[in-house]
Amino acid sequence: MAEMWISMGPQHPMTHGLWTLKIKVDGETVVDTEPDLGYIHRGVEKICEARDFTQITTYCDRLCYASANTWSHAYIYAAEDLLEVEVPERAEYIRLVAVELQRIASHLMWLGAYGPDIGNLSVMVWCLREREMMMDLLQELGGSRMHYNFPRIGGVKRDLPHGFAQRARAKVKLFLNRIQEYEALFDESTVFLLRSQGIGYAKPEEMINHGVSGPNLRAGGVNYDIRWAHPYSVYSELDWVPPVERSSIKGADCYDRYRVRVEEMRVSASLVLQALDKMPGGADTYHEPGDPMILAKAPTRAPEGTTGAHHFEDSRGESMFYIAGGGEGRGKQPYRVSIRSPMFITIPYAAKCMIGYKVADIPAIMGSFDPCIGETDR
Amino acid sequence: MGNIVSPDFQKIAAEVLAVAASVIEGVDAEVAERSSGTSPRHVVLINALPGSWRTLAENLYSEHAVDYCSMVTGIHWPEGDEERKWEVVYHLMRTGVRDPPIENGIVRPIIVDPSKLRGASIPLEIEIHVHIPDTTTPSVDSVQDIWIGADWNEKETWDLVGIDFDGHQEMRRVLQPHETPKGYHPLQKQHHLRYHGFEEMYDDAQGFMRKPADVGKIK
Repeated sequence: MAEMWISMGPQHPMTHGLWTLKIKVDGETVVDTEPDLGYIHRGVEKICEARDFTQITTYCDRLCYASANTWSHAYIYAAEDLLEVEVPERAEYIRLVAVELQRIASHLMWLGAYGPDIGNLSVMVWCLREREMMMDLLQELGGSRMHYNFPRIGGVKRDLPHGFAQRARAKVKLFLNRIQEYEALFDESTVFLLRSQGIGYAKPEEMINHGVSGPNLRAGGVNYDIRWAHPYSVYSELDWVPPVERSSIKGADCYDRYRVRVEEMRVSASLVLQALDKMPGGADTYHEPGDPMILAKAPTRAPEGTTGAHHFEDSRGESMFYIAGGGEGRGKQPYRVSIRSPMFITIPYAAKCMIGYKVADIPAIMGSFDPCIGETDR
Repeated sequence: MGNIVSPDFQKIAAEVLAVAASVIEGVDAEVAERSSGTSPRHVVLINALPGSWRTLAENLYSEHAVDYCSMVTGIHWPEGDEERKWEVVYHLMRTGVRDPPIENGIVRPIIVDPSKLRGASIPLEIEIHVHIPDTTTPSVDSVQDIWIGADWNEKETWDLVGIDFDGHQEMRRVLQPHETPKGYHPLQKQHHLRYHGFEEMYDDAQGFMRKPADVGKIK
C-alpha cells in the first residue's frame, strides 16, 4: 500500500497541548514519525534575562500548569546555588510537603486525562475529585489555585497555616484509600487493559541514551531517581523507596507507566505524612512570614562568573536549571537562564516508540508518557 | 532513614573521574561543590578546548560510563574575553542504569540500595564548559551520535543561541517558527528585551503620556 504523511495536531485530542505529530502511515501501521513543537514558545529564557532573581519564580510557575510547584522549586534550588544561600531546615520540610502534594496533583491530572484518551471516561471525574483536595491544600500554602509562587530564595513565602497539618493528614489518608478505587477502575476495565498492555515498549538503557528519566524510566524496572542520586532537600531524613515497576521482557509498556505513577502517588503521600510528623518545631506551630525559621536572608546580586545549577525530580522526569550570574546592573539580573524540560527530550523518544504500532495506539502511547506542552515549549 | 547515595563516596568517585579526565590534552578537570538547599553536593567541573571536546566526550562515554546527556546550554558573551565570546555548557550524568536481567522469561527489576553504591556505579554530575573564541559562525563538534538525548538539546541551542554543531544531522528550528529569518537567534545579546514598568504598561493604555523615547514605538 502507498505510504503517506498525516498531521496529527496542532488541534487533536491526542496531543494534550498544542503541537503537531506528523506520522507516516502504511495502511494502519505507523512507519515514521516526526514531532513539531514550538507552538506556545514564550521565550521564558529571554524574559528571565530582564528580570530580578525574585521575579523569575512566577515565570517558572507558569512553565507547566499541571505541576507549577515543582518548577518554581527547581528554579529556586538553582538560584540558591548561585546566590549561595543556606536554607533553614523547617523551610526544606515545608517545601517537600508542597512539592510532593503537587506531584500527586500532577499525576492525578495525568491519570484523569489518560482514562478518556483510551476509552475509560468515568475515571476523569474521579481523579479530578481527589486532585481538588490537593489543590485546596496547595491553595492554603500558596494562596492561589494553580500558580502558587510559593518558594522564596532562602525559604518559603509562608509557614503552614493553622490547622494545615491536621487537614493535610486527613486528606492524604483519605486519598490513600481512594487510590484503590482508581486501581479497581483501571485494572478491571477490559478496554483499558486491551489498549495499554503490550504497546509502546521502551528499554531502560535506550531511554537513558535518549535522555528520558523520571517515572517513564522507572517503569522499565530500574531504580533511578534524582532524589537519591543527586540528593537535595531532606529526602535523606525520610523513609521511602522510589517505586520500580516490574516490566515485561520487551521493556516498559503503557500499562507499566500507568502502574508506576499510581505507586508514585502512594510514595508521595507517605512522604507528605512523614514530613508533617518530622518537621522541626512541629507542624502545628506558626511563624510569621520572614521569620528566620522559614526564610533565610539572601543576597539579591550574583556577580559575573558565578553559576548555579540544579537537577530536580519533576513529576515528568529530570528538570534542570542552569543560571549564569552577572547580568544587567552589576548582577541584579541573571545573564543567562537555561531550562531543561523533561518532556522536550521525551517527546521525540515517545514519537519513536510509536513506530510499528497502529494509528489507534498513538493516543495510548503518547498519553502514557505524560506530555505537558507548557514546559516543552517554554 | 532514607536511602540516598553516600555524599563521601560520591565525592571520591568525582575526584577519580576528574583525575582521569585531566589526562586528555586540552582538558582541565576539578571537583566543584554546589549547594542544594541544606547540603553540598559534588560535581565534576571540566573546562575543555573546542578541539578536544569530541575526544573527551568519547572518552567519558566509553571509559567512564557517562550515559546521559542532561542539557546543552549556549551562552553569548559579546563583552567577554577574546577567548570566550561564546560558551557551550554541557551537563552530563552517569546514571548507572542497566537493562534489568531476564531470568526464565521473567524480568527481575534492579532494586539497588543507593547507600551501598561504591566506585564506578555511583551516579555523578559532570559539567563541561567549552569556550569558543570570537567568531561570527560559532560551532563545536556534535555529540548527537553518542547521546541521542543531546540531539534536540543541540537543535534548541542552535535555534535560540545560534551555536552550530558540526556533524549534526537534520538541524532545524524546533521552538521558533520554521520560517524564522536565517541568522535570527533571539538569545544572542544584540537582541535587547525592553522592560516595561507597570505604570507604563497599565496606567497609560492609550499612550497619551508617552515619553519622548517611546515615540514611534508600538505600545
